[in-house]
Amino acid sequence: MSIEWLNFSESPALACSAFTEQDLEYCQALSRALLTQNNIKQFPDLVALGYWLRRSNLTHLLAAYRHRDVIYRPLGMVYHSTPSNVDSLFAYSGILSLLCGNANIIRLSNRSGGSTEVLIKAISVLAKEFPQQNARLQLIRCAREDHELSLLISQVDARVLWGSDSAIQAQRIHTIPAHARELAFGHKYSLCLLDATVILDASEQEVIQLAQDFLKDQLTFSQQGCSSAKTLVWLGDSSSIADAKQRFWSQLDITVNDKQWLEERNFYDAFANAQQLILLDNSIQGFQQHSWCCRLSASHLTDIQAQEHSGNGLFVEVELTELNQLTPMLKHYHQTLSYWGIESVKLQDWFAEQVVGIDRVVPVGQALNFDLVWDGMELVSMFSRQSRMLV
Amino acid sequence: MSLLEQSPYELTATQKTPALINELKQLSQHHIKACPAYARLVSVQWPRFTADDSALELKDIPWLSVRLFKQFSLQSVSEQQVFKTLYSSGTTGTPSRIVLDADTAAVQSRILVKIMQQWLGKQRLPMLIIDCPSVIKDRANFSARGAGIQGLSFMGRNHCFALNDDMSPNWPAVTEFCERFADGPVLIFGFTFMVWQHWLEQLVDQNIQLHLPQGILIHSGGWKKLEQIAVSNSVFKQQVKRLTGVERVHNFYGMVEQVGAIFVECEHGYLHCPSYADVLVRVPGSWQLANNEQQGVLQLLSTLPHSYPGHSLLTEDRGVIHGEDNCKCGRKGKYFSVLGRLPKSEARGCSDTYQAAGAL
Repeated sequence: MSIEWLNFSESPALACSAFTEQDLEYCQALSRALLTQNNIKQFPDLVALGYWLRRSNLTHLLAAYRHRDVIYRPLGMVYHSTPSNVDSLFAYSGILSLLCGNANIIRLSNRSGGSTEVLIKAISVLAKEFPQQNARLQLIRCAREDHELSLLISQVDARVLWGSDSAIQAQRIHTIPAHARELAFGHKYSLCLLDATVILDASEQEVIQLAQDFLKDQLTFSQQGCSSAKTLVWLGDSSSIADAKQRFWSQLDITVNDKQWLEERNFYDAFANAQQLILLDNSIQGFQQHSWCCRLSASHLTDIQAQEHSGNGLFVEVELTELNQLTPMLKHYHQTLSYWGIESVKLQDWFAEQVVGIDRVVPVGQALNFDLVWDGMELVSMFSRQSRMLV
Repeated sequence: MSLLEQSPYELTATQKTPALINELKQLSQHHIKACPAYARLVSVQWPRFTADDSALELKDIPWLSVRLFKQFSLQSVSEQQVFKTLYSSGTTGTPSRIVLDADTAAVQSRILVKIMQQWLGKQRLPMLIIDCPSVIKDRANFSARGAGIQGLSFMGRNHCFALNDDMSPNWPAVTEFCERFADGPVLIFGFTFMVWQHWLEQLVDQNIQLHLPQGILIHSGGWKKLEQIAVSNSVFKQQVKRLTGVERVHNFYGMVEQVGAIFVECEHGYLHCPSYADVLVRVPGSWQLANNEQQGVLQLLSTLPHSYPGHSLLTEDRGVIHGEDNCKCGRKGKYFSVLGRLPKSEARGCSDTYQAAGAL
């Protein structure tokens, strides 16, 4: 057992100033490398990453941090351990940390899929042109228990853990220095809030767009991204909800055929998972089979749903007459609430009062968009030391 | 008409189907009464299911993902009635747990014998088991391999284990067996991969040629490992014939969740449903029934499981039905092929289970 360095660098990995021109140039080059790949259309996550990496976008995102009364300095060496569910997620936290001036070591999952390979290749190709940046964005693969990894982690200034709760806990056997900080992005569960009456009143074009956005959010990573909704929360009286469901699901049944989202195995897993949940969770009251997904109706949100739901095209649906009924059901693990048809003032008022759970509220279609504020953490600040000089 | 009293391969669809629907309806009703988890699943997923429904078809019998037997203890008998517990032989993950009472265990054995007699004749044959003796040591807790060997051993006499407990060939025992019995019919049984790796390959390595011209090889356990090393059914048969002289080779398909009513491969290479069992093929996703010759996922129906609700199971195997009552071999009933496991989905997800190393 040892560490495999995927884009090995001869240059030393030294932290440098935050938000430098050279780092932005590197991102721009990586963006170009990704977006000009022939087969990039197969990897919608990389297309999104490619656009996010453009200099104009990053400059815009970072502008807010340049003119504050604090100065952002790097932490030093940051270790990232990435999840296997969203292949390209590591790039966002890694690149942000790079832009903050840090040197980064990113441990990739052994199970990561096709888009990771494309990304590794793009990063490797840029190594020659950008030796400093490449040295500060080192990709590795090794067992979680690796001894060399343990030594490495014992010298970092920060550790970023993505993954299941058990994976995160398991990785904490490696100790980090006393001064080091840790960012843990553990298991999360996301919801989609839909207003029945508004769906019933919507134009056909609006419902088609809703279906496209919904499928993109939920199925891009086979419903396994933590911000993809696994439970739909319907708002309305029961008869409008029944009619709205009819309209919504009929449209999904048509729109889903635009693309091959799921494979045979996903279908089986969704079905088996549905039966498992029926047996585990008494809140589940009904089952419906569509040609591409399973639906379960539930009286309320439960911990069991959050723990045992494994995506693949399985949707739990709960019905509420008032948004306030959602509040007591929310837990720390509820992350993204994507919404459609809810009046924004109503939503803002509710969100202002709501205390437990829900890290982000976004319109349907934006659930997978990466945000500098993630799981309740402002990432640029988390990847930096903020310092102030009084004169 | 009780299907259990029928001969395995003589009923046509018009005779079999109504009887099968009826027995499976009654079994479903029995498990609804005896197994609360099963009752809950049916009430949520098939709320309109009732055993009194005369329009009910085979496809309407509630069906369980076979995976549930790994996740839950599903039984329709009290703990006191448990006679034997079977575990699947899966090398990874949690094994399936199948609870048998004395009656179900007895019916399984009886039906297995009844089916095998069709292929082996009524006489018990000298039996060479391509496995090691330790596989059947713990009689109360059988692995699938142990259960298979135990079940089939009823068909034989003068049992000889061909392997030592370290899986090396027991050449003295094999030689003695061949010297005594090679002149007459003998039964050879083993799991497909064991037969290949620990038997045929050893014969090649040791440059040993056996001569069992009247031998019948019965083997089971899936082709996955052999497909990985590009060994097809026909290559397998050729090697068996070349190295042992055995010309009659029958694969059978079955699973620990439905021991007894197995599906045996005929001379034309098709698996056959006996009177007590049936297969359906469903299209993944909609789970509607596939047409004949259309590939899908196999659902297995068996009239045997009484002590656990395993009479209608959605397997994780892909398969295809070729026809019913018209196989060239002359046997009645559906005949089909198994096309291997569904590919494993990429283990992805924030909730992925981390297989902890060692004591973690």
